[in-house]
Amino acid sequence: MSVATVDHSTNLGYAGRVASAICGRGMRRIMARPTLIMPVLLMPLIFVLSFTGAFGSLTRVEGYGTDNVFNWMAVYAAMQGAVFAGVGGASTTAEDIENGFFDRLLLTPGSRAPILVGTMAYSALRSTIPTTGVLLVSALGGLRLPGGLLTLVTVYVATAGMAAAFCLLGLAVVYRFRTMRSMILIQVCGFSLMFLSTGQVPIHFMNGWLHTVARVNPVTNVLRFARQGFLGDLTWSMTWPGLVALGAMVAVAGALAVHQLRRLAA
Amino acid sequence: MGGNTGSRFNDDVVIEASGLKRTFGEVVAVEGIDLAVTRGEVFGFLGPNGAGKSTTVRMLTTLLRPTGGTARIDGHDVQKSAAAVRRIIGVALQDASIDPLMTGNELMRLQAVLHGISRSESRNRGAELLARVGLAGAAGRRVATYSGGMRRRLDLALSLVHEPSILFLDEPSAGLDPTSRLALWEEVRRLNSELGTTVFLTTQYLEEADELAGRIAIIDHGRLVREGSPADLKSTVGSPTLRVDVDPVFLESARQVLIGFGPERPAREGRCAIGLDGGAGRVAEVVRALDDAGVTVSHLELDLPSLDDVFADATGRRLEGAEK
Amino acid sequence: MTCSPTQPAAASRGPKSEPSAVSAGARTGLRLAGVQTLALTRRSVVSEWRQLGNVIPGIVFPLLLAAVYTHQFTRVILLPGFPVVDSFLDFVLPASLVQSVSFGATESGTELARDIENGFFDRLRASPCTRLPLLLGRLGGAVVVATAKGVLIIAIFLLFGTEIAGGPAAAVVLVAAAVLLVIAIGGLGQVLAILTGSQEAVNATFPLVFTSIFMSSAFFPTNLMSGWFREVAEANPVTWIIDPVRRLILEGWSWSDVGQALVVPLVISVVTVTMAVVALNRKLSSS
Repeated sequence: MSVATVDHSTNLGYAGRVASAICGRGMRRIMARPTLIMPVLLMPLIFVLSFTGAFGSLTRVEGYGTDNVFNWMAVYAAMQGAVFAGVGGASTTAEDIENGFFDRLLLTPGSRAPILVGTMAYSALRSTIPTTGVLLVSALGGLRLPGGLLTLVTVYVATAGMAAAFCLLGLAVVYRFRTMRSMILIQVCGFSLMFLSTGQVPIHFMNGWLHTVARVNPVTNVLRFARQGFLGDLTWSMTWPGLVALGAMVAVAGALAVHQLRRLAA
Repeated sequence: MGGNTGSRFNDDVVIEASGLKRTFGEVVAVEGIDLAVTRGEVFGFLGPNGAGKSTTVRMLTTLLRPTGGTARIDGHDVQKSAAAVRRIIGVALQDASIDPLMTGNELMRLQAVLHGISRSESRNRGAELLARVGLAGAAGRRVATYSGGMRRRLDLALSLVHEPSILFLDEPSAGLDPTSRLALWEEVRRLNSELGTTVFLTTQYLEEADELAGRIAIIDHGRLVREGSPADLKSTVGSPTLRVDVDPVFLESARQVLIGFGPERPAREGRCAIGLDGGAGRVAEVVRALDDAGVTVSHLELDLPSLDDVFADATGRRLEGAEK
Repeated sequence: MTCSPTQPAAASRGPKSEPSAVSAGARTGLRLAGVQTLALTRRSVVSEWRQLGNVIPGIVFPLLLAAVYTHQFTRVILLPGFPVVDSFLDFVLPASLVQSVSFGATESGTELARDIENGFFDRLRASPCTRLPLLLGRLGGAVVVATAKGVLIIAIFLLFGTEIAGGPAAAVVLVAAAVLLVIAIGGLGQVLAILTGSQEAVNATFPLVFTSIFMSSAFFPTNLMSGWFREVAEANPVTWIIDPVRRLILEGWSWSDVGQALVVPLVISVVTVTMAVVALNRKLSSS
């Protein structure tokens, strides 16, 4: 009896349109209320400024791999911003759940996967804002690109991946607890995960339990992948572990999110 | 009375539920719900706040997993073929499901995309639907600026974008002013009579159920207590209600007299009520009997049965507030 | 008789400035103010304790930071110009303490804003409460919690091998300085609460406080910084508190260091609390 609808179950084009509509809606909301993006943009900027300022002489220590503190810190700050942006993407869903709009989205005919994908894409897109901000500010501070322009590609890939992973993790939490306040949990997790990695110092600076934690932390591989162009040439051996780590984080977080969504509604 | 009882009535059962149940931890919200709604009906689900109406609707519309029982919409199981169910239903829930940061137009367009409606088609349908619910002028504004009534109307328009054959309305006129409520009723009747849309609506307003529904199910504390057309339900309650106000001193003797004329019914303090067997004609007898017993009556009234009486008969409480 | 808003202002006590009852009135007035402050302090402590969820991050997070930095900076402490320490842990103790107490410092402000938002403040105002206890009571809660946190942090650091050269007296100075800092930040939060009446606005100060701790000598010596950042850090009052405290821990007792460590936050506290009282008076007399 319904008119003008397409066969949803098999049409990939339809799924793509739904996902991009969800993503577009997110971006349009930012334009409707720019204060939404302010913390996401400001926090990593403050991060990069205070860390390069306070710990500027870190790079004087032997073994850093660079004497330019911006070359070391910029990626760290950008990825922190990406985590923040990712959680922000999930926060939009938290808001939707709290005001009831999420029901509308849940009533989408066909699979609900495009909604997850769209939200994830929105987070990844969102993360380009703090990443670009950090890179610009760092450029003013003397950032250099020994690895060439491809370095920028690795940075954007890494931050988009981190944002996607943490968006999915945030969604898993939000589907489970259904409140805005639960987002703080993920925020803290994300910050801690980044912190317990090679964000601030190279791995051979660490010892004991911290060394072990940093070694198994997937973020360490992602940092290595994104940072390589700032420290020297880009090589495959430093690239593939980072991509695997990103893929694994997105896959695990995605599985959690899908599982929680299935528990939330039929 | 409403409902499509004309010849287009198919025997297809488009909404069916069997033993539908939902618990939240220890709390049993809904239990043992059996339903069969045929194509083209307007079916009313009547009950007080917290009775389990919204929970049932959420289960039927794939927004909530049942913890027991089954339900099928037009033959599709709500758990196993949820995606197919969503294709054919339109839903407008109690809290309007809208995003305050978007405009009416943007929401319409998003809804159209979600339902796979082409861009050009969505433009026309969106404009038409918004005009029909009286939001044509406000469509370009952010929903945050809309009043509560406007939001519900937008929600209804959104639920109709894909011309669903089955429409679920959860307390559609809650919070609406009388004019908007009448307009809503008009729209529901039109959808049902012109387009043959099956309508499943929940409400706590007796008048709404009476006016719109061809058949009603009364739900209380998560269970179905009565089912049938408004006329049939009222006739089961049968007799009109006779209410007699007396001085507290005479209350017990009044009661003794009255229960000889019919079963007792719930009434407020200082009042005695019965279902008067044999109808209004026996009022004179009652008055004489009370007089013989020495009871002084301060007030007497006779009411034809209403859905409130049906509810009171089934549950021992009145639906719309205090005892009369 | 406590200052409870559930008791209507039946026996309304006039303002303390009644000339005919000055001497006796002043004494009872002071005693009353003391009792009222105590009662409000108790309320504030209970409320903070209930929000244990807020207290735990304030302890775990700074300790985590300290632990991670200590492990990461084992070579950094060998840089020429870095103060002589056995471990970064000794260096970072004052920072962890300041960071820990800062987690609850804005709480008194948000509490006040919440009270204003939901009208409880109006009820308090209608009660026979005098002005100062309304603010001090709230700060009292923050002080109690900050002291507890400070003692706990120092204990944990001592457990992990930190030595305080200045002895137990230096530890007391450390806690006192942190508590004064909490009063300073709390006062600022209360000013914001009174001016804006919004919890969100007061909450926004936390990231500012958090960042300003990083933009000081808390986590790195200023003499090893360069450029504009160094200037900012050296002008930051947090640096003026942390540097002398650190010397008390690393080098030993010195009266000038004690003086600086206590006077700086004291002055700031007096300024912000005075601002809060002035703002409060203005708000109450304008309506």
